[in-house]
Amino acid sequence: MKLITLAVRNIKRNFSKYAMYFFTLSFSVFTVYSFLALIQNEFVYQAFTYRERYRTMLIVFGVIIFVFVMFFLISSNASFIRARKKEISMYSLFGMTNGKIGKLLFLEIMLVGLAALVGGIAAGIFFSKLIAMILLDIALVDFTGDITFTFNPQEIYLTALPFLFVFGVMGLSGLRVINKFELVDLFKGEKVSEGKPRGSTLILLLSLLLIGTGYYLAVTTDSYNLIGFALPILFLVIIGTYLFFWGGLPKILSWMKKRKTKYYRGDNLIAVSAFAHRMRSIGSTMATIAVLSAVATTAVATGFNLYQNIERNTYGILGYDMYFYGGQEKLLDDVYSAFENYGVELIADYTTQRLQAKPKLKITLYNGELEYYNSENGDDYFRVYSQSVCNELLALARVNLEPVQIKEGEAVYVRSFWTNVPDFAVEIERAIMAEPLEFSKQDIRITSFLDASFTAFGAMHTIILSDADFANLYEAGDILTGYSSGTPFDQVTVFKYIKPLKSGDFSREINRILSGNVGSYRLAYNHYIESLEVFGLACFIGFFMSIVFILMTASLLYFKQIMAAQEEQHQYQMLRKIGMDSQVEKRVITKRLLPVFLIPLVIGIIHSIFAMKTADSILFSDMIMAENSYFVVLGFSGIMYGVYALVYGLFYFITKHQYTRIVS
Amino acid sequence: MSLLKVENVSKMYGTKRGAKQYQALNQISFEVFEGEFIGVMGASGSGKTTLLNILGSIDRPTNGRVFLGGVDISNLKKRQLAEHRIKNIGFIFQDYNLLETMTLKENIILPLALHGCKVQIMEERLRKLGGDLGILGILDKYPYEVSGGEQQRAAACRALITDPKIVLADEPTGNLDSRSGRALLELLSQINRVYRTTILMVTHDVFAASYCQRIMFIRDGEIYHELYAGDDKQQFFDSIIDVVSVLGGENQ
Repeated sequence: MKLITLAVRNIKRNFSKYAMYFFTLSFSVFTVYSFLALIQNEFVYQAFTYRERYRTMLIVFGVIIFVFVMFFLISSNASFIRARKKEISMYSLFGMTNGKIGKLLFLEIMLVGLAALVGGIAAGIFFSKLIAMILLDIALVDFTGDITFTFNPQEIYLTALPFLFVFGVMGLSGLRVINKFELVDLFKGEKVSEGKPRGSTLILLLSLLLIGTGYYLAVTTDSYNLIGFALPILFLVIIGTYLFFWGGLPKILSWMKKRKTKYYRGDNLIAVSAFAHRMRSIGSTMATIAVLSAVATTAVATGFNLYQNIERNTYGILGYDMYFYGGQEKLLDDVYSAFENYGVELIADYTTQRLQAKPKLKITLYNGELEYYNSENGDDYFRVYSQSVCNELLALARVNLEPVQIKEGEAVYVRSFWTNVPDFAVEIERAIMAEPLEFSKQDIRITSFLDASFTAFGAMHTIILSDADFANLYEAGDILTGYSSGTPFDQVTVFKYIKPLKSGDFSREINRILSGNVGSYRLAYNHYIESLEVFGLACFIGFFMSIVFILMTASLLYFKQIMAAQEEQHQYQMLRKIGMDSQVEKRVITKRLLPVFLIPLVIGIIHSIFAMKTADSILFSDMIMAENSYFVVLGFSGIMYGVYALVYGLFYFITKHQYTRIVS
Repeated sequence: MSLLKVENVSKMYGTKRGAKQYQALNQISFEVFEGEFIGVMGASGSGKTTLLNILGSIDRPTNGRVFLGGVDISNLKKRQLAEHRIKNIGFIFQDYNLLETMTLKENIILPLALHGCKVQIMEERLRKLGGDLGILGILDKYPYEVSGGEQQRAAACRALITDPKIVLADEPTGNLDSRSGRALLELLSQINRVYRTTILMVTHDVFAASYCQRIMFIRDGEIYHELYAGDDKQQFFDSIIDVVSVLGGENQ
């Protein structure tokens, strides 16, 4: 018999065992190919405004996915070969040299690998148009064109080469594993125990302590220090997770065994003891899966949150559909006619002057370490609005803010977006409220704060006064209407109109009219499409990454459980003989498999919930203008956790089905 | 009083129309009385394991009926069968069939646990039976930590803990050295005497068979001969050897 015939036969015979693995491999090839194809697709490339960013993101994440897949392949390869120990020793017993066995395994890997490459690339070519369309749909607002099918042999070549290299490495590492086998292993019974998994209370406590500390740091650290703490937190949580599965979970199981009334019920007894028994061999796998699940769910939840909050974020920063200042007298008519020409319905617009005030005031933070405002310094000023002007501005903004009500002698300070760091904001508030603003004839005290940084229109500090105070100060000349040279300050005009984020042609026309002709202008549309491109792409990539991760984790578990099923087969036969009926058997199988899948998933998601808290501190609390942005983030994350659990659950059911088939 | 009654039981393997049909049992009828220690002997392939499987309701006969305590077990539904196995039958297997994931104690109480027994009752029965079988000291050990003889005693304990009507033993000494084998046989005899437990043991070991009170010889799926133990053990042993040599079994 030729080696190749033997290899083909082995693959055929073991197909069901490796089916999931094969699928994972094909999907990884598919993903890498799709990314390459997207980079090469000139049409999609042209559709993006920020092309370099687009290309870089795809390349970087393509490489990251490839690296993960590579580690997965090489590490799983060793356990595949170990699972075939008996078979390999048998070859050895019948006189095959290690070199020849290595060659056989190499052939098998190459055959399976080539099949996966061909399958993955074929699927990639077949779905390339669909993938491109999905990406454009997610990442571009008003894309309407048709995508032509493109195909470039270079992509195949670029995908195949690194994978072939990895297969080669796998083949060689196989040889290393074989050389470690002893022929005598063949004759050792299969019932060699894995040893009693006892676990220890100390390790359990230690693992919980590590994870808990990581969580505590993640929750309590403010966003400035979080970047520095990120690595220690990751380190704590990952080590804690592994310790938990190595020593903590076995301990919990041994506690469960002590609760006899529950434990000594037939199905519990069988399932818990079998699970506890497997802990040693499956503990590391479960820990790895928990960590990978945490990474995947966090990635996809972050992507989804960014994507879902683009609109909110856009208006949180800009406030208006459109505003500009300077050049009203020349440009306002052009802007109005653009509204008419492009059929965009204007809801309202409002023009006001960007007035300033320079009260006598000095504010320092952190015991004088940092100067926040100093009227001695000629550049510092306050943007100043009367209550009624401010309320006009707020009314046209696309955010939910109540009109302000200000008492005489008091003022509202508008928080800037860059002070939105919890500790810093508290310090600023304390310092600002401590000092009155000294004007020529009266003092005014800042008593409350408003989150409407978009009303600053270029100023560092903004205050709102009651109408009466404003009139008095204006009278007294404390409110400046122009530069010292006499040139009046620019006016600002804000607009609110129908479907601002969908009016592409109109926005381009406005860009043409305003660009370079005004002091400054912002269009919500511009900001929106830029964010959409980046976050849409991030979401798209996150989605692919999560699927690759789910597949990797699921195929790892699938393989381990199928191997376990083959070893446990005789136990089920025996149990049936001593009177286990089919209903109890179903319960036993469920209780035996469910924890293996469920525990890592739950731990992964809990990790992710805390990771989202840090993401919230760093990112979302600035983006989402809500009372408690973390709840919003958790809401969106919950959707992604649900989707993830659903897909993951699918693999649980496939594994359970296969396991049941083997043991019965 | 007749405990087990087997009426014209046949078992065919293979498809009905196919040429490969193979008759494992052919119209076997016999009775087992309460408190008996009966042996079934025969060469490999004679159908003794098939018979044991049918008696243990693990397999169904193609034809014929099996009554245990007056109930026709060949007519029971799947669900009832499992219940029946827990309540009425204890198994002892050649390779012990203890679950290596459990301690001996857990293995022994497993049938009771499957039956949904109270912890207190389990512990009580285990203490009594474990004491009689001399395994109390090793109950918390795992199967791989104790000797074959101890494993087999634990397996016997598991078979007896439900207080079954009949214990079916399939080559129980097959994997034991002669000393442990003898100890186990003494134990089975003792159980038979003290608890009045009915035991049906399949074996091809003449020495093991000589512990029985009655031996049925099976050849080609039919009962070929029957022997009763007299007062003289040596004579019984010799007559078994005679029948076995006529049968052409392995232990001539």
